[in-house]
Amino acid sequence: MNLNWLDAFLISGLFSVVVIIGLALLLHLQLGLTRIANFGVVGFFGIGMYSFGVLFTKVDWPFGDLPAFLVSLAFGTLVAGLSGLLVGWLIADLDEDGVLVGTLGFATVVFILATTEQDLTGGALGLGGLKFPYDVGTVKADEFLWLIIVIIVVTLIFLYVWWVHRTPYGRLLIATGANEPLARSLGKATFRTKLWLFAVGSAGMGMIGALFGVMERFLAPENLGIDVTLAAMVALVIGGTARAWGAVIGGFLIFGFFDIIVQSYIPFPKAWYGQAIPNAKLIVEGLVLMGVLLFRPLGILGAMRRDKLMRRVHG
Amino acid sequence: MDLDFFSKSIVIGLTEHAPLVLAAIGFALLYRLTGLINVAYSETITLGAYFGMWFNTTYDLNFYTVLLPAGIVAGLISVGTYFAVFRPAKKLNVGALEMIIISFGLSIVLRHALQFVFGYPVRFFEVPPPVSIRVLGVGVGAFRILAVASVAAVSLALYYFIQRTSFGLQIRALASDEDLAQASGIRPLFVTVLIWFIAGVAGGMAGAFYGVSSSVAPLLGWRQFLFIFLVVVVGGRKGLGGVIITGALTGIALAAMTLQFGQVLYAQLALIVAFVALLKWRSKRSIETVKV
Repeated sequence: MNLNWLDAFLISGLFSVVVIIGLALLLHLQLGLTRIANFGVVGFFGIGMYSFGVLFTKVDWPFGDLPAFLVSLAFGTLVAGLSGLLVGWLIADLDEDGVLVGTLGFATVVFILATTEQDLTGGALGLGGLKFPYDVGTVKADEFLWLIIVIIVVTLIFLYVWWVHRTPYGRLLIATGANEPLARSLGKATFRTKLWLFAVGSAGMGMIGALFGVMERFLAPENLGIDVTLAAMVALVIGGTARAWGAVIGGFLIFGFFDIIVQSYIPFPKAWYGQAIPNAKLIVEGLVLMGVLLFRPLGILGAMRRDKLMRRVHG
Repeated sequence: MDLDFFSKSIVIGLTEHAPLVLAAIGFALLYRLTGLINVAYSETITLGAYFGMWFNTTYDLNFYTVLLPAGIVAGLISVGTYFAVFRPAKKLNVGALEMIIISFGLSIVLRHALQFVFGYPVRFFEVPPPVSIRVLGVGVGAFRILAVASVAAVSLALYYFIQRTSFGLQIRALASDEDLAQASGIRPLFVTVLIWFIAGVAGGMAGAFYGVSSSVAPLLGWRQFLFIFLVVVVGGRKGLGGVIITGALTGIALAAMTLQFGQVLYAQLALIVAFVALLKWRSKRSIETVKV
């Protein structure tokens, strides 16, 4: 495959944008519809990444790379899903502060385990040895193919979210988020709904983490900072928390700008790329979060599709 | 388990984690009296450490001299964030959940803006190596003794201020019923600013203590935030006294587990799990009355 037309920075930039969009889409179901502020996105992302990475690199697989990869990916997704179930159970009947404590606490626990369990994770030094489950020639071609695969996965997640919006399950999530006691008094099992939501959402985040880990090739606790949670939250909030497209638009808008345009196309002095630009990027992320929530809480896309529909029908 | 272990845990726990209690008091004031979960409080702590370090290294002042100014600057910044962000947010009727995310955004902005001001490398206070004092057979640095003393003094002063003075009465009145408090002639703006300032001073001083006993880095406050928050959520039901006691017990537990496991991270891990389990248990007990 001749990929001379393609810039290597463009691949990695697009990759990080797509990963953030994937996380933001899953966060949308939790924060946007059910109004649970999951501050532990990076925890689920990280536990999936590490569970996958440890199984993939530490086990002496008797068969080829692809089956080993698929088994490890399934394992990472499963572990993340089960931890989502646990965290969901812990926080489902707590209020906002309980949710913040539970999710943030979980992310911290994952970070601590990634650091302390050196035999498995390599501790602060990190875990190497991850590779693509195929080889199509050059590194660039491998990475390009990986980008395509991740785009397909995130598209599937988007379709799932889109589908949820149009099903009774989606309406149940919205009802639970808007008024939980009311939903419960109408006979809806809101507790179970939240459990399921957290299990599925976290499994998805864990899977994205595993896919991210392969591209990163080297897992270190630095990958598990709060900026991952922040990125997903910013993408979702600026695009529109209540809309399926919000995460996609927000992700391209802010991270497309920073990770692709600033990184590759604006000739800032070289020295700035080390610390000044990443630092400025985080400041902008924080400002966007504050500004949008203060002045346009529903983001660019605004109110929920069906709210607009209702208004058009009923005036 | 011998007596030595207990005395060690208590001495190390109280001295090493005294700033935790101080920071928790400040956070609890905001949380209990304005109902706000202010994630950006972690940056008040960090900024206290940075300003303390800056006064200390730029003007060649000793730690005891810079402690209060560092707290006051942090207090002023805390009041500044109230006027710049939280007051407008309240006027715009932002929901509780959005408020948390806004404070999270503010926290990120402050944390990274301060790196443009103070630079990226980790900084240190310039202080002579602390004199070690033996307490119950355990050597403790002089700054840590000072930290315990300040925490005790500040806690008592705050407790007295809130429970016994007329300003304290106004603060409590405002917290329980804002409209009624206004109707009875309390100036809500003045009292609210006062709360933000005191909380900021407590956070800033805690930050200076954290900074002097290790290093001054952008994540200094954020690393403590979860533990501060846990202490306040778990202990806050019983008022400031509950926060102080929970904070002190948390410090002792952290020290004991660190001695036991040989690694502070395991102690933190056990603490997080225990506190979250406690919250869950408490919600299970109270839930039947809340449930519809």
